Amino acid sequence: MRERGFGRWVVAIPMCLLALATIYPMVFTLNVAMKSRREYVLDRFSLADHLTAANIADAWNSSGLGRYTFNSVVVTAGSVALLLLLGSMAGYAFSQLTFRGRRWLFLVCLGALMIPFQVIMVPFFRVLGQIHLLDTHVGLILAYTGQFLPFTIFLMTSFYSRIPAEIVEAARVDGSTTLGVYRRIMLPLGRPALLSVGILNALFCWNDVLISLLVMQSEQHRTLMVGVTALRGQYSDNIPLFAGGVLVAALPVIAIYLFFQRQITDGVTAGSTKG
Amino acid sequence: MAQAATAQRSTTAVRRWHLSEHKIAALVLVTPALLIIVGLRIVPLVLGAQYSLTGDGDRNGLFVGLANYRTLLDDPVFRTAVRNVGLLFLALPVAVAVPGLLATFLFLKVPGHRFYRSVYFFPVVLSPVIIGAIFNILLSFDGPLNQLLGKAGIGPVDWLGNSHIAILSVIGVHIWATFGMALVIFMAGFSTLDQSLLDAARCDGATLPQTVWHVVIPELSRTIQFVFVTTMIGMLTGMFGLIYVMTAGGPGGATYLPEFYIWVTQSQMNSPALASAASMVLFVLMLLVGLAQIRLIKRATKEV
Repeated sequence: MRERGFGRWVVAIPMCLLALATIYPMVFTLNVAMKSRREYVLDRFSLADHLTAANIADAWNSSGLGRYTFNSVVVTAGSVALLLLLGSMAGYAFSQLTFRGRRWLFLVCLGALMIPFQVIMVPFFRVLGQIHLLDTHVGLILAYTGQFLPFTIFLMTSFYSRIPAEIVEAARVDGSTTLGVYRRIMLPLGRPALLSVGILNALFCWNDVLISLLVMQSEQHRTLMVGVTALRGQYSDNIPLFAGGVLVAALPVIAIYLFFQRQITDGVTAGSTKG
Repeated sequence: MAQAATAQRSTTAVRRWHLSEHKIAALVLVTPALLIIVGLRIVPLVLGAQYSLTGDGDRNGLFVGLANYRTLLDDPVFRTAVRNVGLLFLALPVAVAVPGLLATFLFLKVPGHRFYRSVYFFPVVLSPVIIGAIFNILLSFDGPLNQLLGKAGIGPVDWLGNSHIAILSVIGVHIWATFGMALVIFMAGFSTLDQSLLDAARCDGATLPQTVWHVVIPELSRTIQFVFVTTMIGMLTGMFGLIYVMTAGGPGGATYLPEFYIWVTQSQMNSPALASAASMVLFVLMLLVGLAQIRLIKRATKEV
């Protein structure tokens, strides 16, 4: 089907333009973050005079972004660890073990996929308050775990169901218990899926704003994304400083995307090819 | 004889022990996950349905029947939110067709599809907060886009301040930020496409549009339906961050969506029962979209 010449360029040029339109807003923001406020007011588009991290450093120092980043790291790391542990355990049981109610319980997990956080926000808030976990890191970790566990179980189950029964059988013959098989076979063999699901969950937790806004109410417990939303009011008259803050918050995600792009796209398409 | 009997008994004992070990292990493996899912997703859903029938403020906890739902119907802000969902449905074909077309081109014609895929997918991994903040700068009244338009002789457009335009801006930015997701799913579908069908079409002298219409679309119908459902769910539940940062629901409530209405009613207005009623409306919407998904899953499992 590959054509040469004219036809190809008719398609290639709009594709290039669209690629530019996708990347340009980021480049523009980077450029703005390098400018002084005066430079920006005079000309929005001109290239920054010199490369400087002054705005980025100012934004970092003057707005508590450091503390917000710490909160985000703690909550994301805790949630991902818990999600991978519980998701791989349940995925192993659902895919390799036979027990009564397996199909039914798996359907419960899949059904929970269709309950978005917005729908359960109000009662969730009340329940978390009753167990005194509002405005705590543990509370937000639990919230994220509840939110992303069904998806994690779904992907881990479909990954583990491709592991041939012979491998498990062989370990059984060698005297492994069921839990021993989990530790010695499922965890090591599951590494690619755990990496992919782990990165996706890290992105979900890091990027979330709604759940964090609801659970973390005091300023000192804010996560980074909520912190960024507050920057807007703080620096409404100093766009370059605002851009610097936005860039700081985006950097970790950009780095993760550059390193783990394949794992991310594998993870999001894993559900689609199965139907 | 007696020896044989004990031997047999011991093997059944071993087997029984083994079986129960297996069962206990399954219980240990599944229980924590199920406790979290039932406790933090399913129980709140049931509680929410119950709250939606109780009152707020003075009538906190009292049964009020469908009063909250009537309040919703009369609330102009909620009506705007529902009307904006209508706009989302109108935007859905665009949000599916554009990445579908791009994926077709990438698959059939344009070299370097890996590069394009990485670029197009990039905004998907960014938080709506980051995207919203960037477009806040780009679309502000005295911002760069209007400056550019001004040079072309087009008067400034109040992208985020005009109540008719703001919702279109937000939806447009959402589509810009997420079309890479649909694109990647389409490309995964293309990779399962039977190459011999395409070769046969070429041998028969089919043009590109003919190939797309008669071969690609029928072969990928399941992928296309999947993209429709996930894109719609994404629009119904993934725009809070954008609205919160770009317009905060304004101007005059013009950019509300149900999810934003629920949050404002719960957190700012302190009317959890009314918010629960709005939640149930959103849930029914999700179910209607989700039912299509269940039918897809069923069909898929039947075919496999």
